[in-house]
Amino acid sequence: MVTTAAYAPSFVSSRRAITVIRARRAVGRTLITIARSIAIFVPVFLLATFVTFTLRAVSGLSPARIQLGEEATPAAVHRIESTWGLNRPFLAQYWTWFDNVLHGNLGRSWSSGVPVSQLIGDGLTVSLSVVTLSLVIGVVFGFGFGTLAALRRTTWIDRSITAVLTVFSVMPPFVVGIVLVEVFAVGLRWFPSGGFVPFGAGAAPWLSHLLLPALALSFDTVAIVARQLRAGLIGAYQENYVTGALVRGLGPRRIFFRHVLRNGAGPALTVLGLQFPALIGGSVVTEWIFGLQGFGRFANDAAQAGDVPSVQGVLVVSIVLVVTFNLIVNVVLGKVTPAAQRGV
Amino acid sequence: MTTLSELEAPQRTPVSDAAPDQVVLAVRGVHIHDHVSDREIVHGISFELTPGKAVGIVGESGSGKTLTCRAALGILPEHFAVSGGSIDIVGHDIAELSPAQWTELRGSTISAVFQDPASYLNPSIRVGAQIAEVIRVKTGATRRQARHRALELLAAVQLRNPALVYAQFTYELSGGMLQRVLIAAAIAADPTVVIADEATTALDVTVQAEILDLLADLQERTGLALLVVSHDLAVVAQLCDEVLVMREGQVVEQGTTAEVLHHPQHEYTRMLIAEHEQYGLERYLHSELSAEVGLNRAG
Repeated sequence: MVTTAAYAPSFVSSRRAITVIRARRAVGRTLITIARSIAIFVPVFLLATFVTFTLRAVSGLSPARIQLGEEATPAAVHRIESTWGLNRPFLAQYWTWFDNVLHGNLGRSWSSGVPVSQLIGDGLTVSLSVVTLSLVIGVVFGFGFGTLAALRRTTWIDRSITAVLTVFSVMPPFVVGIVLVEVFAVGLRWFPSGGFVPFGAGAAPWLSHLLLPALALSFDTVAIVARQLRAGLIGAYQENYVTGALVRGLGPRRIFFRHVLRNGAGPALTVLGLQFPALIGGSVVTEWIFGLQGFGRFANDAAQAGDVPSVQGVLVVSIVLVVTFNLIVNVVLGKVTPAAQRGV
Repeated sequence: MTTLSELEAPQRTPVSDAAPDQVVLAVRGVHIHDHVSDREIVHGISFELTPGKAVGIVGESGSGKTLTCRAALGILPEHFAVSGGSIDIVGHDIAELSPAQWTELRGSTISAVFQDPASYLNPSIRVGAQIAEVIRVKTGATRRQARHRALELLAAVQLRNPALVYAQFTYELSGGMLQRVLIAAAIAADPTVVIADEATTALDVTVQAEILDLLADLQERTGLALLVVSHDLAVVAQLCDEVLVMREGQVVEQGTTAEVLHHPQHEYTRMLIAEHEQYGLERYLHSELSAEVGLNRAG
């Protein structure tokens, strides 16, 4: 029997100390992650917005061209440009725009005059619904397939999953989308072939409109997450801490969830973070196929019309979305595998 | 302290399930076969462990000592198998154990510590929580009880600030501290047998001595049965009552520590002892001393 009475008194006071140390470290790590993200965010944001602004100046795009057409008189063009403030010095324009963005004002669209934030907000509701659902599908099936393949390593189950995933990963979303529409919307008539119904109109119609586009977009995520997870789990199972846990008499389920999954999921979570921008980009094509007026479609239309404030708004919102998502992924990673985050 | 006695309630009194003279680990003529190279790696090894006893296995790397340990723990690498003889843990033949029975037995009856302790602990979980996890799973203690008991164990393995160590990760601790943590985790569910496979090999000499003292101390106080595996005769001699010398899968010498050290029969054992005498510090100190004496006499 290990004698314990002698050590007892110090624990009562030290328990609080542990809690304090723990809390301080957790907060510290999260703050470092956030600070690092901001350090990346600020220069990227400044550079990207400055470049688009410069491009407008160089390209000579103007709201007058959109509103008046090619035959406009120079006087009319000048009048319209001055109402938009385009006759002011370049840096002054950039500063005004930048100041407005910091106050949440993205300006007005050159083609419709509607506030850009409102236009983007409408599109984003649709796109984020699709992207979020496709991420959920990607994570659920990616983790499912990856885990199954790792646990049944080198069996026919593992090999079939790997084969299916290879097919998944080489199919672009627009091909998958067209096939899904053909089969489930036109052929079987299980789902509508396109359009969007807001969540307020009921969860079932909302989901039925979203499911096919989300599915089309999710194939790549499923493949990437499953592959990384399979490799991560197999690697983790070969580590000594698994033998250690086994020798201490922990059950297989506990070893999987607490020891293997925790250390093996890092790479899968990392690629999930990288996948988010790809999904936003991929949504342009998917929204075309499924007739959704989403963020990707809006970005495309704005660019084709030469509607510079809208394009810049799209850029700002994209940067914020991608950085925010990466921040979430990094904070989660820091919680799940603290050692890996310190480069140990 | 009334709270303390309450907290200790869920623990089993150690070795209560094994009478002092009961054999807790019996290895009888065990042969281990490698299916990949189709060779026999261990050619018959036998020994018995009773509570409070320590048996040591000495041999160079590749002599089969670690495989013997792994066989006793049921964690032989994939293509190795026990091809002859039997291993009994407190009367259970391990050949007949189901995976669930193995899980039941490990930790609470037989446990182990290894070389490179950092790698045997989960890098993503605080070390204290890993000890508490064993206590919770194996003894059914509540979170609070397990936490308290883990702190007691960290103090019992002579870590100076248990509360601080509890909240640290493996990369924040030194090798000696990690080996103490690993020992604490191994004895957390009061096992009757602990296997120490090269547990002090990677540590520097002073820390090695402290860890050996700790193991001897635990053995004395709790009646633990120890199986000590090392390439170093000195380590085994310090802890064990009985010594097995292995070479190329064969037990070349077996007997009480005193017998083997003072009257080695096999050539290989003699060589091991001779090397210690030739390269050990005592010889150096001794020769210096006699030289000094000689000088004094001459003067």
